[in-house]
Amino acid sequence: MPTPTLIQSLVITLIQCLLVVIFVFVVVPLTVFAERKVLGHLQQRLGSTRVASGHVGFSGWMNRRMWKMGRVPVLSYWRGIPGLVGDVLKLILKEDIMPTKADKFVFFLAPSISMVAAIVVFAAISFVPGTFFTLPTWFPFVGGLPVSGGIADINVGLLWILGVATVGIYGIVLAGWSSNSKYPLLGGLRSAAQMVSYEVPLTLSLLAPVVLSASLNFSEMSSRMAIGMPFWALVPQVIGFLLYLTCGFAETNRLPFDMPEAENELVAGFHTEYSGMKFGLFYLAEYINMTVVSALASAFFLGGPWLLPFGLQGLLNPYLPGFLSWFGAPHAIFFVAKIIFLLFTYIWVRGTIPRYRYDQIMAVGWKYLIPLALVNLLLAAVIRCFAV
Amino acid sequence: MFKNEEMEINLGPQHPSTHGVLRVKLRLDGETVTHCRPMIGYLHRGVEKICENQSFFQGQVWTDRMDYCSAVANNLGWAEANEKLFGITVPRRAQYIRTLLNEFNRIASHLIWLGTHAMDIGALTVFLYAFREREDVLDINEAFCGSRLTTTAFRIGGLREDLPPGFEKMVRKFLAKFSDCLEEYENLLTENRIWKKRTIGVARLSAEDAIALGVTGPMLRAAGVAYDIRKAFPYAAYAEMDFEIPTRPEADTYARYQVRMAEMRQSARIIQQCMDGMPEGPVMAKLPKILRSEVNEVYHATESPKGEIGYYLVGEKGSLNPYRFHVRAPGFINLQSLPKMAEGGLIADVVAAIGSLDIVLGEIDR
Repeated sequence: MPTPTLIQSLVITLIQCLLVVIFVFVVVPLTVFAERKVLGHLQQRLGSTRVASGHVGFSGWMNRRMWKMGRVPVLSYWRGIPGLVGDVLKLILKEDIMPTKADKFVFFLAPSISMVAAIVVFAAISFVPGTFFTLPTWFPFVGGLPVSGGIADINVGLLWILGVATVGIYGIVLAGWSSNSKYPLLGGLRSAAQMVSYEVPLTLSLLAPVVLSASLNFSEMSSRMAIGMPFWALVPQVIGFLLYLTCGFAETNRLPFDMPEAENELVAGFHTEYSGMKFGLFYLAEYINMTVVSALASAFFLGGPWLLPFGLQGLLNPYLPGFLSWFGAPHAIFFVAKIIFLLFTYIWVRGTIPRYRYDQIMAVGWKYLIPLALVNLLLAAVIRCFAV
Repeated sequence: MFKNEEMEINLGPQHPSTHGVLRVKLRLDGETVTHCRPMIGYLHRGVEKICENQSFFQGQVWTDRMDYCSAVANNLGWAEANEKLFGITVPRRAQYIRTLLNEFNRIASHLIWLGTHAMDIGALTVFLYAFREREDVLDINEAFCGSRLTTTAFRIGGLREDLPPGFEKMVRKFLAKFSDCLEEYENLLTENRIWKKRTIGVARLSAEDAIALGVTGPMLRAAGVAYDIRKAFPYAAYAEMDFEIPTRPEADTYARYQVRMAEMRQSARIIQQCMDGMPEGPVMAKLPKILRSEVNEVYHATESPKGEIGYYLVGEKGSLNPYRFHVRAPGFINLQSLPKMAEGGLIADVVAAIGSLDIVLGEIDR
C-alpha cells in the first residue's frame, strides 16, 4: 500500500468530511421522519402520510381508493418522506425575518455557531476501526489509497468533542440575547444555566471511560470499553451509561429537559424570533447533537463499532476487500444501528414523559446527577485498580 | 453599574398554553412571578346582550358558543332556567336523557382539560389519548342531536327528539372501555415522578381563598370543600342518582388532577345508572307555540364541568325575549384566582395553574 503524500492525505480527509456531511444530512432528515412516525404511533395516529401533492398519479388514485375502503394505504405510509424535501425547501425559500432591534451580527452568527459546533464534533468520531474502505485504483489522484473510519482520530479526541460541544451552547445563548425579545432572552438564560450545569455531570460520566481505558483517543477508548469488558462496558458502567444519556438529553434540549425552548411556557424559547434557514440551522444542530450524543453513548457504553453480535465477530472479515466495502463495512452498520436505537430512545422518551420545571432541572443536576457521577467515577477507579 | 429590574412579559394572547386568547401580564424577577394579572375580553361577543334580543327558544344557540367544550351543560342550564321562568315540568324520561348527556359532556370536557393540561406540562401523548376517547363522546353527541360540538341538545320543556336507535349500544360500548382508558392515562401520569414534581404543591388555593373568590367546581372540591350543585341543589335527575363528590384536601394542582379524574369515574357511574333506570314516556312537555314571559326573575345554577354556571333571567310582561340575561360563568370567576395561585411561583407554574383552572375563553369573555 503506497504511503500518501501530504496533499493526497488532505484530499482523503476532504472526502471523509464529505462523507460525514452526507451521513449527517441523511441521518438528520430520517430522524425527523422517524420522530414523526414513531411519535405518531406512540400517540395512536399515523404520523405524516402524505405531501400536499400526494393525490396525483397512479399511486394517488390507489391511495384514494384505499382511504375510501377505510384502509390506510400501504404506499401512503412512506408518503411522508417527500415531505422532508418539502420541509427543507420551505426553510430555504422562506423569507428571513430579522427583528429591527436585533443585534444583526450576533443574530446572524448564533445559528452558524450552533451548526458548526454540532458538525465539527464528528471530526474526532471514528465510525469503523481502521480502514473504512480502499479507494479504487481508477480514482483520480488518490486511487488505491485507504480511507480510515474517522476523520481525525487524534489523541485528545474526547477533549475535542467535549470542548466543541460546549461552544455550541454559545449559539443558543447568543441567539436568545441578540433577538432583543423577552421570550428568547428567558430561553437563552435558561439554556446557559442548564447546559453549564449539565456539562459537569456529562463530563464526569465520560471521565469514567477515560479512567477505565486510560486514553482520550476516541477509537482507543471505545475499543477498550468494548473488548474484554463484560457485556461491552455496560455491566461495570451501567450508572455511567444512564447518567450520560440523561445529561445528553439535557445537553440537546430534548424532553424532559427542553427548558430553553419549553414550548408551552416560552413559545419557542431561544429561536422564537428566528425564521427561514436560520431557524433551520438550529433545528439541524439539535438533531445532529442528538446523533453525536447517541454516537458517543454507543461508542463508550454499548461497544461501539468494535464487536459484532450473533457470533459474527469471527465470521465476517471487518475489512472487506475492494468493491464489497462500498456496500458498507459490517462494523459501521452495527455502530449505526446502535446510534439509531438510541435516537429511537430519544423519541420514545419524548412521547412518554412530561417536562421538568426549570428549578427542578437544576436541582436534579446538582443534587443527584453530579454526586452520582462522582460515585460512578470512583467505581470506575476501583475497577481500574483491581480488575482491569 | 448593574441594575436590578423586573421584567414585564405578556403571556398571550397568542401563546401556546393560554387556551385561546387569554393574556396574562406577568412581572418577573428572574423566573419568579411577582405580579400576575389576567387580561380578558379578546373573545367578547356580547352573548348576554344578543340573547336579550332573541326569543327564548333562540337563546340556547348562544349558550353553545360560550363554553364550547361543555356545550351540553350550558344548554341544560339555559333550558332549566327557562323552564323555571315559565313554570314548565319536564317529563321524567327527558330528565334522565339530559342527565346522561350532561355527564357525557362532563367526561368530554374533563378529557380536553386532561389533554391540554398534560400537554402544557410537557406530556404530549396524553393529549392524543384523551382526544381519542373524546371522539367517542362526540360521536354519541352526534348520534343524539346531529352535531358534535355546539350541540343545542335540549329544548325548553324537554327534548326535541327521543334517543336514536342504537344509542344504548354506543353508550354501553363506551362505558365498557372507558375505565380502562382512564387507567391508561393514570399509568402515564399519576405515579409519574416528573408529573408529581410539577403538580404537587404547585399553585395552591386554600379553601378560604377559594370561597372568598367565589371559585367553584373541581377547583373548590380540590381544596376540600364538598360542594357540588348536583348534590346541594339537585336538578335534572340527579336527585335519583347515586354518586359521590370526590374531594381532596391538598388544594394544589395535583389534587385538582385527582379530583377531575375521580369525577370522570363518577360520571361514568351516573351514565350507567341513567342507562339502566331509563324510564319510558314522552320526552317533551306540552308547550304553547310562543313563550311570552311574565314579570318574573329566576336564577338557576347548575354544575357545569368547570363549576357553577348560573343563568339569571328577568322576564317582562308579554315579551318574547328576556328583559335581562346574565350568566355567572364559572371560568370567569375561577380565573380571578390566578394571581393568588401564580404570584410567588415560577413562570412554569403559571402555565400549570392556567391548565388546572380549566378555562375556556369563549365563556370568560362571552
